[in-house]
Amino acid sequence: MSERLFVNVGDTFLKSPIILASGTCNMGRELSEIYDLSILGGLSSKGLTIKPRAGNEGVRVAECKAGMLNSVGLQNPGVEHFIKYDLDFMNTLDTGVIVNVAGHSTEDYIDMVKALDPHKDKIDALEINLSCPNVKEGCMSIGSDKEQIKKIVGQLRKLTDLPLWIKLTPNVTDISSMALAAQDGGADAVVLINTMLGMAVDIKTRRPVLHNNTGGYSGPAIKPVAIRMVSECYRVLDIPIIGCGGISEASDVLEFMIAGASAVEIGTASLVVPDCPQFITEELEAWCEENDTDIRTLTGTLQLWQ
Amino acid sequence: MNKDFFCEVTSKCMLNEETALIEILCPEIASCAVPGQFVNITCSNFLRRPFGIASVNKEAGTFKVGIKIVGEGSEELASMDEGEGTWILGPLGNGFDLSNNKYILVGGGSGVFPINFLYEKLSSEGKSVKVVQGFRDASQIIMNNDDYILTTDAGDAGIKGNCCDGLNTLTDEDINGSTILCVGPMPMMRAVSSWAEQKGLDCFVSLEQRMACGIGICLVCVCKIKAQEQGIEFDHKRCCKDGPVFDAKEVIW
Repeated sequence: MSERLFVNVGDTFLKSPIILASGTCNMGRELSEIYDLSILGGLSSKGLTIKPRAGNEGVRVAECKAGMLNSVGLQNPGVEHFIKYDLDFMNTLDTGVIVNVAGHSTEDYIDMVKALDPHKDKIDALEINLSCPNVKEGCMSIGSDKEQIKKIVGQLRKLTDLPLWIKLTPNVTDISSMALAAQDGGADAVVLINTMLGMAVDIKTRRPVLHNNTGGYSGPAIKPVAIRMVSECYRVLDIPIIGCGGISEASDVLEFMIAGASAVEIGTASLVVPDCPQFITEELEAWCEENDTDIRTLTGTLQLWQ
Repeated sequence: MNKDFFCEVTSKCMLNEETALIEILCPEIASCAVPGQFVNITCSNFLRRPFGIASVNKEAGTFKVGIKIVGEGSEELASMDEGEGTWILGPLGNGFDLSNNKYILVGGGSGVFPINFLYEKLSSEGKSVKVVQGFRDASQIIMNNDDYILTTDAGDAGIKGNCCDGLNTLTDEDINGSTILCVGPMPMMRAVSSWAEQKGLDCFVSLEQRMACGIGICLVCVCKIKAQEQGIEFDHKRCCKDGPVFDAKEVIW
């Protein structure tokens, strides 16, 4: 592994800036059969809740131009099952273990952090999901209110020393105020962005394609929105940013880092080309060598036009 | 181990105006694919397109898939000619259990392709195989064989009726001890599964749902399967990774 690629997200050391985004890598088992995940900086688990969730019924995916809508609805085996059957497996992958924590209420998030904190030696960071658009309560509805963000992050901060990465939703008017609220609450980093709320219509039936009616839009189409939000937040935050949204090639990673990200997450691209994070890693190594640059020095080097 | 291969089309034939059968060179997939598995094929649209494997030639290192044109992606793939290439992920999913010696295969829609692979495999092993295939009308008939029991809804070829009407023409000798393997539209598989239940036969079906990754990481292609655990009504199983083949008794239709 090239020394060129390691990054620090606050106090969290990652051997590469590339993390697999929650919900696009399950718990790592399937992709570990395809390529060696130890080349990655980390892997973020499927979004977990206190109790198992079956997720939404009916059609959960709609293909769009340069991306897709999903309405999986946080299908997951529950935190207890995760601790028993998945956490140790994730620790065998020799990469950063990020656990994505979701909930319907403040109490749910508190219970989740309490359940996970005793296993802190097996976890590199908790990614607090305040941004899933596919559940009726919690997640995005908390993550679009800055007072609630600050309050919930503050409460979780008291419960654990584990790094708290707050994954925010782009479905807000002013992203930097949401990121600042997370910082004020005591977050170690923010993850920008989760999916954009969208809808697709079947013109034959005149009904939404997704049986949840709406879903989260992801893929290359949302990258410019994510880059803008990373840049905007970088200028006001003191804590690091993990960029996410539409990354499918090495130059996308460089763009995010120049705009202000300390690390990035690759999501939907893995659904199309499962081993693309491997190619991207190789290309980033080559780019760093060619430019005689360590990748961590790129963060926030964007010079805006006056 | 699943892998992504850049593969070349070695031959193509149009089975009718809207369906192509393409042969693809990929020794890695051809050497290990089993009936019931599928491949996920890259096209110009954002997501890949999944297709059941229709046939395998291990010596030549080739396999075939049938592509019915239903939209832009399948239209593009069906228009590929000899020498053209694309990325193919496979073989994916779990195949059928072929440990019995006596089978009845039932196919309809794009299910006729995996049924063809099953028929080739089972008959090459000298097992007893009866096949029933159903189509809307005579113009839709593809991948048929004189040994098969043919049904059409319109009645302009074969037996008038659906696959269950075809199954009803089988003798007790044909039926006793057979396992039914069925691939086709959901209503057809549901009807065949209840026919099998009435006869006390094991029945396995290959479920279909809108799919994205094909490898079990995105959880969009789930189907309802009876839960093992008490107190839970059902599990959302992934068609691509936990299936596509499921025991019909476990499926919540």
